[in-house]
Amino acid sequence: MLGATGASAGSIVSGMPPRLAVTGVRKRFNGVEALAGVDVEFHAGEIHAVLGENGAGKSTLMYVLGGFLSPDSGRICIDGSAVAFATPQAARAAGIGMVHQHFTLVEALTVAENLALSLLPQAEWRLDMGRVVTDATVLARRVGLELSPLDAPVAELPVGARQRLEILKALAGTPRVMILDEPTAVLTPLEVGQLFTILRELRAQGCVVIFITHKLREVVEVADRVTVMRRGRVVLTQPSTAVTESVLAEQMVGDVVPVTRRVHDPVHHEVVLRVAQLRAVDARGVEALTDLSFTVDAGEILGIAGVDGNGQRELFEILSGVRRPQHGSVEVGGQRLGEFTPRAALSAGIGHIPPDRQRDGLVLPMSVHENCLLHCGVLARFSRHGFLRRTDARHFTAELVRRYGIRMPAIDAPVRLLSGGNQQRVVVARELAQQPRVLVASNPTRGLDIAASAAVAEALVDIAQRGCAVVLISTDLDEILDLSDRIHVLSRGRLSPPLQPPVERERLGLLMGGSAG
Amino acid sequence: MVQRVARQVVPSLLAVAAALATSAVLIALSGGDPVTAFQAMLSGAFGSLDSLSEVAVKACPLLLAGLAVAVSFQAGVWNIGAEGQLLMGALAMAAIGSRLGAFPGWLGLAACLVAAALLGAAWAAIAAQLRLRRGVNEVISTIMLNFIALGVISYLVQGPLMEAGGNYPQTDAIAPALWMPRLFPPLRLHLGLLLALATAAGVYVLLYLTVAGYEMRAAGLNPNAARLAGIDVDRRVLFALMLSGALAGLAGGVEVSAITHRLYERFSPGWGFTAIAVGLLGRLSPAGVVVAAVFFGALDAGSNAMQRAAGVSSVLVSVIQATVILFLVAFERRRWWPEYHGTDATVGSPTTGRS
Repeated sequence: MLGATGASAGSIVSGMPPRLAVTGVRKRFNGVEALAGVDVEFHAGEIHAVLGENGAGKSTLMYVLGGFLSPDSGRICIDGSAVAFATPQAARAAGIGMVHQHFTLVEALTVAENLALSLLPQAEWRLDMGRVVTDATVLARRVGLELSPLDAPVAELPVGARQRLEILKALAGTPRVMILDEPTAVLTPLEVGQLFTILRELRAQGCVVIFITHKLREVVEVADRVTVMRRGRVVLTQPSTAVTESVLAEQMVGDVVPVTRRVHDPVHHEVVLRVAQLRAVDARGVEALTDLSFTVDAGEILGIAGVDGNGQRELFEILSGVRRPQHGSVEVGGQRLGEFTPRAALSAGIGHIPPDRQRDGLVLPMSVHENCLLHCGVLARFSRHGFLRRTDARHFTAELVRRYGIRMPAIDAPVRLLSGGNQQRVVVARELAQQPRVLVASNPTRGLDIAASAAVAEALVDIAQRGCAVVLISTDLDEILDLSDRIHVLSRGRLSPPLQPPVERERLGLLMGGSAG
Repeated sequence: MVQRVARQVVPSLLAVAAALATSAVLIALSGGDPVTAFQAMLSGAFGSLDSLSEVAVKACPLLLAGLAVAVSFQAGVWNIGAEGQLLMGALAMAAIGSRLGAFPGWLGLAACLVAAALLGAAWAAIAAQLRLRRGVNEVISTIMLNFIALGVISYLVQGPLMEAGGNYPQTDAIAPALWMPRLFPPLRLHLGLLLALATAAGVYVLLYLTVAGYEMRAAGLNPNAARLAGIDVDRRVLFALMLSGALAGLAGGVEVSAITHRLYERFSPGWGFTAIAVGLLGRLSPAGVVVAAVFFGALDAGSNAMQRAAGVSSVLVSVIQATVILFLVAFERRRWWPEYHGTDATVGSPTTGRS
């Protein structure tokens, strides 16, 4: 084994090239620069945290290192020699192991059978389960991993055990670099502690452990060095002892820019939306929302800040009627929502702008016109004896197109041909046309250029000024700070006490990172 | 507009051209002359009034069953069971028709056709309920229901419904009053063709001019967005599958009434399966299905002439039909098969890694 046991934090052995060096790596998706020239070095025997908001590029960087994506330009060197991975197999052969955020286990197979996929050489035709059992036991003992019963089906394992299995699979190739993508997202505090012990053990054996997270506390607890990414760039690489949580939070969310906040005119003091004690469990059975309660006044924009995966999706789904909460109630104008279906929510006056417009907001092959009608209220308005009133419906679309400045080849052109900004304008125009009493907008400007973002923000302010209660769920702090009259931070399914702007960004950053503010 | 129509039509034409080219190679390899063979097929299909009438007769069940496929596929419901639903429709016509004597002609015929459609719809409803209540994939259930329908027919024509006088495994003939009128006797061209064309127009109106049709198409193209927009996707699935079954059942009923007048074991040469090809070649649009059904009907009608004149087996027609579909799917970028939208599927995949 290479490397001294317990190599000290961030030490650079002189004369030795870094174990893994990334130089000037760029990657574009559909014209958006996900990695805008990344330079970072990872050294043998360190735990290196990579920190950043959603969309900062950290996952993209890891996909590049793991051979899942090839960079547009830039160099990756292992021990000083340049490498290029065409496939994940090539990366694994070069000694890079990955533990994905979403598990890659075959649930119907047993622990041993899952391990066989990684432990047995691919060329071999014989399924030598005896060898799998010996190898797995040796491997587990070497890194001090507790091994689950080998004949248990993976489907019956708790989340923590599944992750240990993932780690064991990644260790099968004796990697020199271990990448873990948000490994603590699904773990209980006790399991997080066990995971950290394993990471330290790997470090002691000379492995580079790259640990992706957005939780500040974990960085301070386990990492030797930390790299902060923002908008596709590395903005900071420091020994973790040299930085404080507030510095990290500030670097993560960006420079403090003077915020031009709209002046909220508190003419209405009528509670329109009342959410009480919502509790929801996600697909894995983990509690996603814990006793969530808040109210929104008419004409108010309530910002709910937070990093994705802290209950945002569940909150949006409950308010839009897609998901039934395990407990709790939603009231609009004093009327309790009787059932949780999208139709019931829309009928109660809750409009919504979904976070993924292409998946949930639009029917891409359908025309701009047909997408403008995609709302049961709009359809009811233009229905006569079951037939669509074509002329009136087309006037409606033409009016929306004019008012929101939707740019497109033709009203009958498929909506997929429109730019992201114009697609979002279609969604916003349609929802606002029904004059909802409550509007739930989830990341409404994500991925949009400045002009389109401004148009969407303007539309939100406008509808609020006409008395709508707006819930703005967003990971974008600028958006939250610009638009909100009040701010909650949603972290691990819990809501912070309301904050009244102006709020310092670092304070929000700390709350988002799960630290007590 | 021209561009949009071209985008719809060009892949189908390319697929047909490529399939014919492939068949030409096959004919040549088996020692035949492709030019003679295709000429014979062409004149066999369009050479005389009689042959034209036969093209229409062959196209009729394909048109109705093709519409059945188009309706369900447009709603994102993959009904592979048109064959079984068609058989159930034929069963209704034959079973009721052979017992229904003294009804005023057109009323009895109308009642029997409605019964055929209803039994087809009921057969499809089994798959719809399995999907909605138990989450059973309708591709599997409708395929399996085809075999069950075949078994049911086989049992009935050899048992309870076997003809009274004879020894053949077939039902009694239906009353002549229930025979679909021929348009220009002695040509076999019958009223069913007009019925099928009217049905195509009706399907067009439903899909493109009504709210229900809009909701079906939206639910088929993006069930997530449709659901979030307050559209009852489950209801549309049920409706689409039952309507599809009704159209297929009508195809079977019309065929019994117009051509065979009775039901027997090998009643359908696989219309319900060819209908999938017709639907896809017609790009799931009612007008396209009409054209595709006529094309497949012409292949069928011309194949015998080809066999006689050029000595090329009429089975080649099946090869053409199959290769048309293979080329069509290969030329087409849209996926014909359902995509399952897992709730977490889009999160963290490499292509969405940025956002």
